[in-house]
Amino acid sequence: MKKQQHENAIVFADPERCLGCHSCELSCAVAHSGCDLYSAAIKGLTLRPRNKVVAAGDASIPIQCRQCEDAPCALACPTGAILQQDSMVSIREKNCVGCKVCVMVCPFGAISVKPDADGDLEAEGRTNRGVARKCDLCARTGRDVPACIEACPTKAITLVNLDDLRQTLLEARAAELAHSYKYLKQRKVKP
Amino acid sequence: MTTNQSIDPSAAALLPVAKKQGISTVWDRHKAMQPQCGFGQLGVCCRICWKGPCRVDPFGDGPQVGICGANADTIVARNVIRMIAAGAASHSEHGRHIALALLGVAKGELPAYQIRDEQKLRSVAAKLGINSEGKEIAAIAEEIALASLEDFRNQDHDKPCNWIASALTAKRLERLAGLHVLPHNIDAVITQIMARTHVGCDSDPVNLILGGIKGALADFDGMCLATELSDAVFGTPSPVVTAANLGVIKEGAVNIAVHGHNPLLSEIVCDVALLMDDEARKAGAKDGINIIGICCTGNEVMVRHGIPLATNYLSQELALITGAVDAMVVDVQCIMPSVSEIGACFHTEIITTMDDNKITGARHVRFREETAVENARQIVGFAIDAFKRRDPLRVNIPDFKQTAIVGFGTEAIMGALGAINAEDPLKPLIDNIANGNIRGIALFAGCNNTQVAQDSSFVTIAKKLAKNNVLLLATGCGAGSFAKHGLMSQEATDEYAGESLKAVLTAIGTAAGLNGPLPLVLHMGSCVDNSRAVEVAGAVANRLGVDLDQLPLVASAPEAMSEKAVAIGTWSVALGIPTHLGIMPQITGSAMVTELLTETAKELFGGYFMVELDPNQAADKLLTVIDERRKALGI
Repeated sequence: MKKQQHENAIVFADPERCLGCHSCELSCAVAHSGCDLYSAAIKGLTLRPRNKVVAAGDASIPIQCRQCEDAPCALACPTGAILQQDSMVSIREKNCVGCKVCVMVCPFGAISVKPDADGDLEAEGRTNRGVARKCDLCARTGRDVPACIEACPTKAITLVNLDDLRQTLLEARAAELAHSYKYLKQRKVKP
Repeated sequence: MTTNQSIDPSAAALLPVAKKQGISTVWDRHKAMQPQCGFGQLGVCCRICWKGPCRVDPFGDGPQVGICGANADTIVARNVIRMIAAGAASHSEHGRHIALALLGVAKGELPAYQIRDEQKLRSVAAKLGINSEGKEIAAIAEEIALASLEDFRNQDHDKPCNWIASALTAKRLERLAGLHVLPHNIDAVITQIMARTHVGCDSDPVNLILGGIKGALADFDGMCLATELSDAVFGTPSPVVTAANLGVIKEGAVNIAVHGHNPLLSEIVCDVALLMDDEARKAGAKDGINIIGICCTGNEVMVRHGIPLATNYLSQELALITGAVDAMVVDVQCIMPSVSEIGACFHTEIITTMDDNKITGARHVRFREETAVENARQIVGFAIDAFKRRDPLRVNIPDFKQTAIVGFGTEAIMGALGAINAEDPLKPLIDNIANGNIRGIALFAGCNNTQVAQDSSFVTIAKKLAKNNVLLLATGCGAGSFAKHGLMSQEATDEYAGESLKAVLTAIGTAAGLNGPLPLVLHMGSCVDNSRAVEVAGAVANRLGVDLDQLPLVASAPEAMSEKAVAIGTWSVALGIPTHLGIMPQITGSAMVTELLTETAKELFGGYFMVELDPNQAADKLLTVIDERRKALGI
């Protein structure tokens, strides 16, 4: 059977709804930390979100990985650690050496090479201070919906399934065109 | 669905009614508000100037200081002490209102009020060092009122407030004075907190927190005077049998709910309702007028007059959803703005009465002590008119109510103990603590909070402590919770008290003429009456020659919510009482402030905060603390 091709889903943020509160960053950091907000705060952990709220012009918006179909990071990665997998651009952390080529080629600035949380690696005195990290759509956090989407108080963030979106657009336009066609027919217009 | 919202059976009965009628309640709004802002939860959001808002990144590479340079410790400390200031302002404004009313009574300007308990007035005079011998009651009342108002106007920073100086053990006063946290003037201390937290002022978190503790002790001062003066004017609570939960609403009566905190209005409404009963009957209410209480106004009239309590904070809206409340008369504090909209879904008159506490959409009757009777008549009249508009098809009164024996102020507790040993009332209590029949004492205080299934933490902790022979006291919405769930009954003592506690409660109750044990939890009054528990504890401590932080006494606010609760919890710590919180306080964004309040406080004050969200574990921790204290006392 032939494999069906679907675009990767993306986290989409509406700049008109974003108030720049950073709740999405906080929830992203907590979601990837393996503990809850209060314990992380009490333990004094340093957690790093995989998204970043950026203010530009009059608007603010969280930026995170677009899950590119022709991902420059995957092409550039010298160790082949970045690849299309599970309907997203995925990083095989064990293959990553932290060379930061992906950071340099990502047009969105969505990748960083730092640990999710400060702790074990540095404590062990290893030179490896982290691997490439970016939005993984919360795939390994056991959540149904990415944490940032749940956390957004103005519902500015959504997970867009491109098939669904395209279908919605197609149906809406088709309905309009079909409506117009009725008038063409009434007036006996033929191309 | 209702199981994680409330354990009150009335909620399970009425929430589906609300849903069907499209009425949203506090639980719907809580759900719509999720998730709540993490920066706010940690207390690291600063809105103190217009360069902001700033929020410190609690975890990572983001900003560690606000635009002015304030770090998380400073921001958290400023935020929490501003909450304390607001709590102290609320209680003390209530206290000032009572003190001014007492002055009015003394001068003969307020015919609606009188001194109902002259003995209490004399004992208050003695406590404040006012010589009352040979003086007229009015003259004593005036001196007491002025001495109380002095606590709002003294400008000598080295002279502590009169009430706090009269209420604490000498050792405690000395300790607090040594830390420079004894308040000299309630208003001034609240103002100081606002001033020192202004942009560019105090940024030392330890200094800020100590300033907050002074504010919390000012709160204690305001609470003491509010409680004691109210007793003199309206009567000192004594044990009375009444009922609690929404089943106290009567279908055949004009139901008037008194809600809020201040007894000045609700007392007169109760008086006037008696006089207007016939009018209600003429309007078709075969059972006349039925006054019911909500929140602490409810507790005030409950402990003094046995007025039944309809419900506590979180389910105030449910009272309206019964469709049988004809008027809800509110004064100050903890009144959800949503009541006016819900009242409008029914025939219910929502009536605000205080000029500085109005609610959009509610009717406002300007209440003045000078015209109290006239105002109360007008209010009861509105209720009777509303009753005529009541739709009987929409009446839905849940059939739940529990018997509650309430009214255990200091005097009532001493009175009951005096029935065993008239010469030395404290002796039976002290003996039973010493021999372990009473393992310790726990005071439950505080609110309800949507973060916990309503009443569940109160009930869980209390049952476990009672089983382990801890004597239980309660005030405010905690007391309301116990009353609703039947834990203020003699049956509850039989069912839940450990054997030795049961024997003590039975001996005292029987001697005091209750024909059985004291109730499992003793209702000491509204949240402003927490000072009563300190009075009892202070008497025990003085008798033993120890300070409050040595007693096997703990406090618990398992469902705390309001700024008043923040203030109460903080003075409880400052008085040396280990104080449990069942809600995560908004301070954990600062490790320093968290450590200060949960650890360092132990060295400074002997009291400290213990945060434990799980009620079972909280009970265990409280028992451990009680045992530590017993051990230190060598008992």
